Amino acid sequence: MTSFQWIAFVVLGISFVITLALTVRRRIAPRVGFAWGMLWIAAAVAIARPELTATVAKALGIGRGADLVLYIAILAMVFGFFAVYVRMRRIESDLTKIVRELAIRNAEEPEEKT
Amino acid sequence: MIWVVVPAYNEGRVLGAVVEELVARGHRVVVVDDGSTDDTPAAARRAGAVVLRHAVNRGQGAALQTGITYALRRGADHIVTFDSDGQHAAEDVDALVAPLLAGRADVVLGSRSIGSAEGMPAMRKALLALAVVFTRVASGASVTDTHNGLRAFTRAAAAKLDIRLDRMAHASEILDQIVRQELRFEEVPVHVRYTEYSRRKGQSSFAALRILADYVLGRWMR
Repeated sequence: MTSFQWIAFVVLGISFVITLALTVRRRIAPRVGFAWGMLWIAAAVAIARPELTATVAKALGIGRGADLVLYIAILAMVFGFFAVYVRMRRIESDLTKIVRELAIRNAEEPEEKT
Repeated sequence: MIWVVVPAYNEGRVLGAVVEELVARGHRVVVVDDGSTDDTPAAARRAGAVVLRHAVNRGQGAALQTGITYALRRGADHIVTFDSDGQHAAEDVDALVAPLLAGRADVVLGSRSIGSAEGMPAMRKALLALAVVFTRVASGASVTDTHNGLRAFTRAAAAKLDIRLDRMAHASEILDQIVRQELRFEEVPVHVRYTEYSRRKGQSSFAALRILADYVLGRWMR
């Protein structure tokens, strides 16, 4: 086993344990925990047996295993950005509602003309 | 009762005069201070306006909705939106409200195309012409001007309005909602005055791109 594989397994192992702990303690939804868990396992498998990704890549008509991993990573990132963007919009619109309600409750009457 | 909603962001220098003119004509004025760092709120209160303060800047669309919601709660019969930088004329308010009083329209939009514009830069003129074409296609409203801050709503029409685009794209959003809610609208000629001050304070032409992006995304994400 190469030193890269050792480091990767330690990092992935820790990530998996943290995900598991968070899921058991209900800090994240079971569905979300499951998705992250699967991601760590898939990463570990791909690192342990790189030739596996090459096989899958070939089956999909992509030359190299590394390319397959890259494409999936880019797609995942684009999806991630989009999810964050949607969430940010919602938070912004919630913020506006709070700011609006505060402003209306604290309405300041005009100064009396002297 | 007419309530005039004036969204303002760092307009302390000219806001006082704008509000005074409106108050002198007997209108109730509510200034929505959108997180200004200058003396905008003090100037507005001195001139006789109710002031609502946004704790943080939320954009002109957000400020308009805040003012409209407030005016409705105060029992306004008619609500007029009015820019804070001195480009509109207070005497146009009555002309704007007239079709509402006559029961001909639910919404009246001020138009500088059928009205007049003073000192408008050529670039802005071209951009607005483009915006009008785009708006006609996008919302299906046959208007001669868009992004004009001077509008009037009956109470019922204002209550149906729900401005969600916080920044500058609200102008197109309002037109969309007028069309979707099947409100009767009418355009009235108004006079717009581009001063040295308003040109400097106002939107740069590049802002049009952001407005377009906001609007398209807003429609698509609804």
